[in-house]
Amino acid sequence: MTIHSLYIYDRHCTCVYYQDWHRTNRPKVAAEGGMLPAVCATIYPTSQQPEANAGTTLTFTSPRNTLTSTTGVVVAVSDSQQQPAPLLQANPTSVGTSSSGLPFDEEAKLVYGVVISLRNMIKKLAGRDESFVNYRTSGYKLHLFETQTGYKFVMLSDPKADSMRFILRQIYVGPFLEYVVRNPLVKMDSREQGIDNEYFRASVDRLIRGLSVFQ
Amino acid sequence: MAIFGLWVINKAGGLVYQRNFADGLAPLTSNEYLVLAGTLHGIHAITSRLSPSGSSSGVQIIEGETFKLNILLTATGTKFVLLTSLAETTADALLQKVYDIYSDAVMKNPFHTPEMPIRSEAFDTRVGTLIGSGQS
Repeated sequence: MTIHSLYIYDRHCTCVYYQDWHRTNRPKVAAEGGMLPAVCATIYPTSQQPEANAGTTLTFTSPRNTLTSTTGVVVAVSDSQQQPAPLLQANPTSVGTSSSGLPFDEEAKLVYGVVISLRNMIKKLAGRDESFVNYRTSGYKLHLFETQTGYKFVMLSDPKADSMRFILRQIYVGPFLEYVVRNPLVKMDSREQGIDNEYFRASVDRLIRGLSVFQ
Repeated sequence: MAIFGLWVINKAGGLVYQRNFADGLAPLTSNEYLVLAGTLHGIHAITSRLSPSGSSSGVQIIEGETFKLNILLTATGTKFVLLTSLAETTADALLQKVYDIYSDAVMKNPFHTPEMPIRSEAFDTRVGTLIGSGQS
């Protein structure tokens, strides 16, 4: 039993946040312009500024290492210029080359397409306002939680896992409200930037790693 | 415990058989069923590519809040879809039996054209007794 990945989409169908845990088929780095900044630093296309951060003292080593912030500001926002932080992977430089999966932007669009199609299908079949909850294949299980504001929380887990809806809801009422909605530096609904920031990432990570299904 | 309906989708994504057994889901026109079957066919192909680790089959169970779709993909690409309530546990076994009946009553029928809509009285009655008998 484990949890593979988490996607958050806003109401404009764009992926605003991505995080993964146990994934062997990791997505490739997205194509230039294929994804928003501040969604997930490790798979964001970085062709420029290879040594831009070499001279600066502020280098992020872990999403939890928030004490190095020089400003002292509690709310955090992910800087699109920053070098990809080695978030939870042992070797972030090999991520782009070693993975056999799709590029991230294409994968994110496929996930969204599947979720929306299934949602519409379930609604049509039921003939009332019924939401799609999850689907299962032999390899994984996909769970959906949709908020009133149109944010869609999508989680991929082990196929044997029970419904994760309440956990997605917990992410929404906990870290999401605290570090995204109440964070004045996060431009929600901007279509220009994701919602990733160190506090949110660390908080989601803590929540997921604390679950009994996560091993 | 209820079984709402059965679909058979051919390997090209066309709906070749559709039958409702119990009320509970919205009544749709045959055109709408055709569209849904086509969508499901596409989704099935995509879901096998989204696997986070290792290879994966296509989607097997899709759950809503009050019902679920159980999908059986045969080796030849034909899909059997059973729409049931969430509590139904015998869906997998039923799908296998429907596949049995399909092989017997449809595939062995010399007047049946492969990949075309199923118009076989034998299939109708045998599916009817199989699923009709399981209904409360």
